[in-house]
Amino acid sequence: MNREPVIIAFCCNWCSYAAADLAGISRLQYPGSIRIIRVMCTGMVHPELVLKALNKGAAGVIIVGCHLGECHYIKGSEMALARAEIIADTLEDLGIAAERFQLVWVSSSEPERLVAAFREMSERLGIGRALGVKTPEAGQ
Amino acid sequence: MSGVALPRLCCEWLHGCSGCEVALLNGGDLFLGLLEQVDIVHFPLLMDHKCPDGPEGNPSLPRAEIGLVSGGVASKAQLEVLRTMRDRCRILVAFGTCASHGGIPALRNQWTTEQALSTVFHGDDCEYSSESESKGWLDRIYAIDEWVEVDLLLPGCPPRPETIVEVVAALAAGQQPQLTEKSVCEHCPTVRTGSGRMTVRRFLANADYEPEEPMDSMRCLFEQGLLCMGPVTVGGCGGREMPLCIRARVPCRGCYGPVRRQGNQLLDLLNILASKGIDHRAIVDRISLLRFSGAHGLLKPNIQG
Repeated sequence: MNREPVIIAFCCNWCSYAAADLAGISRLQYPGSIRIIRVMCTGMVHPELVLKALNKGAAGVIIVGCHLGECHYIKGSEMALARAEIIADTLEDLGIAAERFQLVWVSSSEPERLVAAFREMSERLGIGRALGVKTPEAGQ
Repeated sequence: MSGVALPRLCCEWLHGCSGCEVALLNGGDLFLGLLEQVDIVHFPLLMDHKCPDGPEGNPSLPRAEIGLVSGGVASKAQLEVLRTMRDRCRILVAFGTCASHGGIPALRNQWTTEQALSTVFHGDDCEYSSESESKGWLDRIYAIDEWVEVDLLLPGCPPRPETIVEVVAALAAGQQPQLTEKSVCEHCPTVRTGSGRMTVRRFLANADYEPEEPMDSMRCLFEQGLLCMGPVTVGGCGGREMPLCIRARVPCRGCYGPVRRQGNQLLDLLNILASKGIDHRAIVDRISLLRFSGAHGLLKPNIQG
């Protein structure tokens, strides 16, 4: 079975999910391979969820949270950062390419930054090209 | 023997060390009491019972109500034995950590079978370097529930003798055995304050404690900076009393496997360190945190390295 590659995006409820909403309202295009999962805080994303997604066949996982110091729960972003280091080290241990995981900070007023991160991840994994995702020039 | 047929018990061992079987023997009088509750029909370590190959070359094992399988699956022959056990036994129990989570042998899942064989049996003068024998190996060590349906996991390296006897007796009586689903920490009496050292010490470092004082005045070993696997390991090693390693004032090694059936001890422990802000890079050889649970694809050969 030839399934489309999928990128799982864990978006925090307060910043990046709002940014994704705004991206929709602003009609910004991002690759169809992205599947957003809303979480209350990126600090709650257990490394196991990321590993599970990759093991179950996701091409990549991107965690999108509030800028450091702007977390709704004060310290969630720091925790996400500490967990991202663990994930990166574990991926290396398991021989999984580091580029399949990424952590980015996006505030609720930065939909362009979110879309750029999605697009960059998708291109890095070679998904955008294969599926003919519109580039900014062609899409607008 | 009374006229009523006792439930039959069949035991097989795969890629293990026979420690689980010895633990059952170690039950002493409890084990003798068990002999009045079950009829052991096949048990490699205890009895000299031969199992001729069946018509299709499969091992022929006697039928039984309760089946115990110790050890993980490393070869095709072991897989055949396991499948026959599943077919022949009404209730199949994964006996010990190797059967449940891969155990110590699954540490070699961080290399391929070829790498492992050529490292251990290198050169032409070794028996296992012949190609025909190496063909019988699977690609890695598997827990038995990766191949067949398992009714109960009875982890432990080895499981506590009293617990083994209790589980078999409960199954023989048609009851559901009661095994704890809580972590080692839930059974640990040491003092936890919620904050501790921000660095990880070597496992070889001694804990700080006063030998005369009772265990419940010792500070939690994890908070002392020792890498205790207690938070990510299922309890039960000490029965209703305190965990065995803690009793000896050394950190838990994690031999009962993860708390949740499909849990990952390495990730869970690193996650705890991360949420407390402790630098996980201070751990020497962190991959060995999966020393008892490397099956289920948790330990993989590093393709790049």
